[in-house]
This record gives sequence, structure tokens and C-alpha cells, in this order.
Amino acid sequence: MNCFEIITFIVGENQGSKVLQKAKKCGVNGGTVIKAVGTVSDHLCQFLSLYDERKEVVIMACNTQVAKLTMNTLSQAFKFHKPNHGIAFSVLACQLIGFENCHTVESEEEKSMYHAIYTIVNRGNAEDVIEAAKAGGSKGGTILNARGSGISETMRLFQLEVEPEKEVVLILSKKDTSNKIIENIRSALKIDEPGNGIIFVQDVVRVEGIYE
Amino acid sequence: MHLILHKLKEVACSVVPIVLFVLCIHFFTVEIPSTLLIRFLIGAAFIILGLTVFLLGVDIGVVPLGNMTGKLLARSNKLIIVLLSGVLLGFFISIAEPGLMVLSNQIAIVSNGALPSMLILIVVSIGLAILLAVGFIRIFYRLSLSKILIVLYGIIVCLSFFSSSHMLAIAFDASGSTTGILAVPFILSLATGISQLRKDSKSSEMDSFGLVAIASTGAILSVLIMGIVSPFTYESQMMQLTSIDMEFVLLPFINELSNSVSDSLLAILPLSVIFLILQKFFFRLKHRQVRKYLTGFIYAVLGLFLFLMGVNAGFMDVGLYFGQQLVTLDNQWIILWIAFVLGVLTILAEPSVHVLTAQIEEVTSGSIRRVIILIALALGVGIAIVFAILRILIEPLQLWHFLLPGYIMCLLLMKFTPKLFVGIAFDAGGVATGPMTATFIFAFVQGAAQAYGNADMLVDGFGMIALVAMMPIITIELLGVLYKGKGDVK
Repeated sequence: MNCFEIITFIVGENQGSKVLQKAKKCGVNGGTVIKAVGTVSDHLCQFLSLYDERKEVVIMACNTQVAKLTMNTLSQAFKFHKPNHGIAFSVLACQLIGFENCHTVESEEEKSMYHAIYTIVNRGNAEDVIEAAKAGGSKGGTILNARGSGISETMRLFQLEVEPEKEVVLILSKKDTSNKIIENIRSALKIDEPGNGIIFVQDVVRVEGIYE
Repeated sequence: MHLILHKLKEVACSVVPIVLFVLCIHFFTVEIPSTLLIRFLIGAAFIILGLTVFLLGVDIGVVPLGNMTGKLLARSNKLIIVLLSGVLLGFFISIAEPGLMVLSNQIAIVSNGALPSMLILIVVSIGLAILLAVGFIRIFYRLSLSKILIVLYGIIVCLSFFSSSHMLAIAFDASGSTTGILAVPFILSLATGISQLRKDSKSSEMDSFGLVAIASTGAILSVLIMGIVSPFTYESQMMQLTSIDMEFVLLPFINELSNSVSDSLLAILPLSVIFLILQKFFFRLKHRQVRKYLTGFIYAVLGLFLFLMGVNAGFMDVGLYFGQQLVTLDNQWIILWIAFVLGVLTILAEPSVHVLTAQIEEVTSGSIRRVIILIALALGVGIAIVFAILRILIEPLQLWHFLLPGYIMCLLLMKFTPKLFVGIAFDAGGVATGPMTATFIFAFVQGAAQAYGNADMLVDGFGMIALVAMMPIITIELLGVLYKGKGDVK
């Protein structure tokens, strides 16, 4: 199999740059850091309304060999084997454009037991998505602030061009529970009606830092 | 739990340096009486705890409220609504500001009742309110921040030629105290809320800053105009050496109790009213979110209370004592160095500074690191305190000898620094003059002025705040010039 991988790291606040530096030493060309908010399942924190934890999401692309090395090295360096120290997963990509020195290598096909579920909804609904997903058996999720619009035009308020604000919810789940999670989100947020959001699911090649 | 510990660590890192520095002075230069030292350490514990809780509350309550309110205003798409709500928001935030109340009482006293404190409170609040609305219009109609600031500061310079030096000092202090501990996070997040809606993210970065800067000129303008319209004669009052009560260690904490409670409750009041009204008619949030914001407000009050207790009862006396003792040392270099380091370290523990730097990281998605802004800000404040002490030591030196060239430099540097940094710099000026500077450093400078003699209560006391508000603007604009040189920011 000739393939590239997209690796995604979800780590604590201000660790994104460190991840990027270490990954570069493993042979990754570069990456993108996105600010995000993660969920906390601790009951005391729920009670205190402190359930938003700031996270950083780092996205990098490279070939399978480098991906394996990077994920291994980094999950040790950042102690992903301990709870709440971070998560890493990778998905397959068929083309990379704009990368130098990134050659494909032969590798045997791997299969992990996980799905990455992306839900894009209007701003303010992400917590409902997470709630629905939790009811379906998920452990938590990561929220990324975003903006964008479908075919509808951008609005104009005063002199400002405005685009609708969105939230992207990223949830990792086992393949056997992912259907239930997706169904839950779908019915809770009425995704099937136009304008309420979209869901897409990716097959995950490999994960680090998830516990059952 | 992780979240709380993380915040605690961050806050401890910014408060511990100042504690260590004070201990260093204690061991090597001026010995502090043990009652004061114990109070100081208790105060430090209060501050660390209070700041942690306060910042948590700002994160989950005040900032989201500001963001949502800003967006709500933008969505209205009607100029009259934006203007009206700008004026109303500004007025309510300002009129309930504890710092402003203290100031208006002081003005009432020095003017021998010619300017009653209620009048001052209302005049300053109207000034802030109108300028806040101007700031909104600037964001919505995408007017250039530099041009507006040049016009505003131009008017201030013109007015200051007709104003007496004590009025000038009061005016700058008014701008420092209206942009108080809760108003700053709220106003900052209003601006970022509006800017987050923008399609063009580069200019959205720029628009996120500058609202605090514009709003705080409102207070300066209104006080200067008030002084010109109804001038009063001010007899220079010599400062008396404030004696420090040394008997019971815990006495000041007990005395401060009621003050801190009322101050912190008063500060959160306007925000709570705004939230409840908007929630009833516009937001209609779900139960879970309402609960989150309200808990955030409770944290903010609780944290503010602890923080104010720590600063007022623990830190202020030590500042005063240092000022009084150090200025009498033969080697005057020592007090200048200590003033510099004290300024640099104190600003790290200023609550609004945390909020501003977090906002900067948020808005630029982390491409401008908070440490860099902190360094520039701290250096600026350090230099400002040195100037304040110099002005006490060298008598012919006047406040405007610093302010005039300083502000001319601020305005000139705007041409060379990236636009994003103009907004950040002028906002930082308002942010730097928070409760930590206004008590601890203020007491330090005042102590020095008292012990050195021939210092005027009003002019020497308040001038320092004006300097602290000005110097960070220069240093952060210089930082912007450096950034531009490296080509990181256009």
C-alpha cells in the first residue's frame, strides 16, 4: 500500500508548539496548530461549571513510516499512557500537495478499532453534540471554533462582511459504538434537515492515548 | 481538577517573583518589621488564591458574556441600537466602578466641595460611555484606529494647555481607574466578540483591540473639560507621613473585610444586570449555560474579594514602608533599581494583564506569544516607576516633561508599528493601571514622596498612574517595530 497519513495530536494548552518541534525531529515537515476546547468528565468539575478545558490540536501530514515513528516517540515524550495527557490518531490520505521530501513507502495495511467522527454545527450547538454523543457511549470530545457557510451568501452588517459561525466537534469512538453515537447526534440535532449541520466519519489507522 | 491546578500554577508563577523580591530586599537592604512581613505573606496567599478563582470566573463568565453581547450588537445591524447600547453599557460599567468612587471622593475633598463626588462620577461615566460608543462605531465602520487615537489625544493635548497640573493628574488617574478590574475583561471581549464575526481574519485581529484605549480617553477628556468649565482653586497640600499600624498582625485584614466585600459585589453588579436582561430578551440560553455564566460571576466576586483583601491589607503597607525607608538611603541608585524591578514584577500579578495576554493569544491563534507581550509590558511599567521616583528626587522635573514627549512618541510610533500592535499597545496602557499598581506601587511611590518631603499630595501621588498608563504603549509599539523587522506580522 502506498499511502500518506494525516496525524492529529490533541494536547493541552500551549503544548502545540512543543509537539510540532518534537515531530520535526522525527522527520515531519511541518504542521498546523489549532486552538480548541476539550471536555472534562470529572464530576466535581462538572458541578463547578469548569468543564471546558483549553486544548490545542496539531495536524501534520507525512508518510506511514514517519507517522509511526512520530506517534511512538511523541506519545512517550508526552506520557500519553497516562489519562488526560493527550490523544493522537492518524487517518489515511491519498494525496499530499505542497510537501517536499515526502516519499511514499511500502507498508502493510493496519487496522485500528476506531472511527473519527466530525460534526460541524452552528455555533452554540457543540455542547449538545457532545451530550448526545455521551449518551451514545462516547467519553468526550474536542470542540474547534470555526466559521463558514454553505451556498448561501455572506451577510453584511454595517461595513463588516460576516460569515456564520460554526463549531467543529471531533469525537473518537470505537467502531462498534460509533453507529450509536452518530445516530444519537443525528436525531438530537436534526442533522437531516438542511442547515442544521453535517457529520462525516473517517477510518482511523492508529491511536495513542485512549483508554476504555 | 486539572484546570484549577493549571490556573493555580500559572498565577503562582506570576505572584511568587514579587514575593521573593520583597524577601530579598528584606534580607539585604531594608529590614521589614515582622508584623508587616507576616501580613505580606498572608496577603500573598490571598492574592494567589483570589487571582486563580477570579481568572477562572472571567474565563467562564465574563469573557463569554462580552463576546455574546458584542455579537448581539453586530447582528442588530442598526446604528441607533449600537450607539444607545454602547452608551448604556459604558455608563453602567463605569458608574459602579469602585476605583472611580474612591477617585471622585478625593476630587471632592481637594476641591473643597466645589465638585461634588456624585457630579464627578456622572461626568466621568458619561465621558466613558460616549467614547465606548465611538469605539463601537470604529469597529463597525472599519475606521482606522490610529487616526481616531491621534484626534483624541490631540484634543487631550489641546485641553491640557488650559488645565492645571493637578487637574491633569486627576484626569489621567480617572482613566486608569474607570477601566477597572471587571470592566477591562468585559470591554476587551466585547471587541473580540464583534471581530470574531468578520470574514477577513487579518483585519479581525486588528479590530479586537483598541476599544479599551478609546473608552479610557473618555474619562480623561471629561475630567479635563469639567476642570475648564468649573475651575477651582487648589491649595497645595503637603503630604503627611502615613504611620503604619504595627500592633496586631490580622487587624488590617479585619478592617478591610467590609470594604472588599462591597467593592467586589459592586463591581460585578452591572455585568449581572446586563446578563439577566439580555438573557431574558435576547440570548435565551439553555439552563446549563446560564448556570455556567452565573457560576463564573460568583467565582469572579469571590476571587476579587480575596484579591482585594490580600492587596489592601497585606501588600499596601509594605509598599508604603519600602518607599519611606528606601528614599532616605544615601545611595539613591538603590531605590531606582528597586523601583524598576518592583514595577516589572508587580505587573505580572495584575489581573487584567492576564486577561489581555490570554486574549492576544486567542485572537492571533497563538502566533503572538503572551510571554513576549508580558516582557514589553513589564519593562514599560518598570521604567514608568523609575520616572515616578525620579520626579520625586529631582524637584524641577514636572509631570508634563514626561507625558508630552511620551505621548508624542506613542503617536509617532504608530506610523512604524503594525496596526495590530497599535491596538494592543493602547489597550495595554489602560490594563496596566489595575488594582495591584494602584495600591502596592502607588503606596511605594507615595511613601517615597512623603519621606523625601516637599511632595504635593495630588500631583505627586496621581502622576505615577499617568506614567504607568503611558510607558507600556511605547514599549509595546517598539516591540511591534521589532516584529515587523522580522517579517512575522504584516
